Amino acid sequence: MSIFEYNGSALVAMVGKNCFAIASDRRLGVQLQTIATDFQRISKIHDKLFIGLAGLATDAQTLFQRLVFRHKLYQLREERDMKPETFASLVSAILYEKRFGPYFTQPVIAGLGDDDKPFICTMDAIGAKELAKDFVVAGTASESLYGACEAMFKPDMEAEELFETISQALLSSVDRDCLSGWGGHVYVVTPTEVKERILKGRMD
Amino acid sequence: MKLDTSGLESFPSLISHGNDVAGEISAPPSFELPNSNDFDSFLKEAIQMVKPAKGTTTLAFIFKDGVMVAADSRASMGGYISSQSVKKIIEINPYMLGTMAGGAADCQFWHRNLGIKCRLHELANKRRISVTGASKLLANILYSYRGMGLSVGTMIAGWDETGPGLYYVDSEGGRLKGTRFSVGSGSPYAYGVLDSGYKYDMSIEEASELARRAIYHATFRDGASGGVASVYYVGPTGWKKLSGDDVGELHYHYNPVTPSTVEHEMVEAAAP
Repeated sequence: MSIFEYNGSALVAMVGKNCFAIASDRRLGVQLQTIATDFQRISKIHDKLFIGLAGLATDAQTLFQRLVFRHKLYQLREERDMKPETFASLVSAILYEKRFGPYFTQPVIAGLGDDDKPFICTMDAIGAKELAKDFVVAGTASESLYGACEAMFKPDMEAEELFETISQALLSSVDRDCLSGWGGHVYVVTPTEVKERILKGRMD
Repeated sequence: MKLDTSGLESFPSLISHGNDVAGEISAPPSFELPNSNDFDSFLKEAIQMVKPAKGTTTLAFIFKDGVMVAADSRASMGGYISSQSVKKIIEINPYMLGTMAGGAADCQFWHRNLGIKCRLHELANKRRISVTGASKLLANILYSYRGMGLSVGTMIAGWDETGPGLYYVDSEGGRLKGTRFSVGSGSPYAYGVLDSGYKYDMSIEEASELARRAIYHATFRDGASGGVASVYYVGPTGWKKLSGDDVGELHYHYNPVTPSTVEHEMVEAAAP
């Protein structure tokens, strides 16, 4: 098993009508053994910007701490929050700095930009950005997730329908992956509120 | 070059072999080997290609009323779950069961072959074969294929004239008699539950609940186990399937979700 499959992860982000949703599984494992079933893979940078980190859990935690540090400095200097597009460029640059000894993680970034326009993107471990208009996926279950999202996604969904769609896509994909699952964590973000929900999934 | 397959022979050949089509069909089965320059490394590569990790959880134990056999139902290829509904408890004959761990094809084929041999023994000797004898037949066949890449980790459980019998047989050629076994990647977790809850004087209900719980705990912790926990009981009149519970539902049965208390709850305003 490769280093990306050491801990196991599943991440997906989807765009809706003036909103976005980002979801992850909750398993932390050491190869086949499950260690925790309440692991946080998605973290908030600010109220309208979330980042999820798939791959090796230790690199995900360290990278997240670095990004929070950089964003706090930015807030002090610019006296405002970072735009999602800018943040994506920051993550890409930080990852490429480690081009010959990379962080073994794949970020999924989701946020609301100017005029509350939803923005999602993903990257590989050395910072190659992939911007998408509909959905992005990462993790050990990514192939199943691509299939599920492609089949279930519709453009311009409202927040409730988006929640249903992303949850079904996540749960059905992790049920075909030994290394991810054991529940789900979904954030649905609109210009006015952030709704965090925990999904009841198969615990095997 | 032909491989010796006298282990596969289940009947003595009564017809003399001619060079015709009939002679071909009645000849003992044999596997053709490929013509390659470097047969050893070809064999190594072939073994690595078909060698599946024993990603599964199976267990069996003897108690006062007979033998309890249980298994999960997940088949995995590396990280991908290829099936959640594999039958891992194989019915060799109405009073003997075998469990499957390792290569599915290997287990299915050799268990069926064992069933044939057991039936022939019955016909030849006018009495049922013992569990000791059946497990020895299988162990000898697997030993003769040792090093060729078969992957079989099975338990033979049955009831014969001497009472309940349980043997562990594997593709390295090992054969062990015992009262409690668990095989597969989830076996450490199953052993933990099984060993702490085991009592020889359990009733059938207690034993089946213990077996089900052990499989459930293994599917929770082990990534390569999951699906349905099947429990079979082997008694004096033969085997009987007791239950097949989906472990996803078993989890919430053992750990019901209690709604947490809320301090302030928003309710819909009543229409005026």
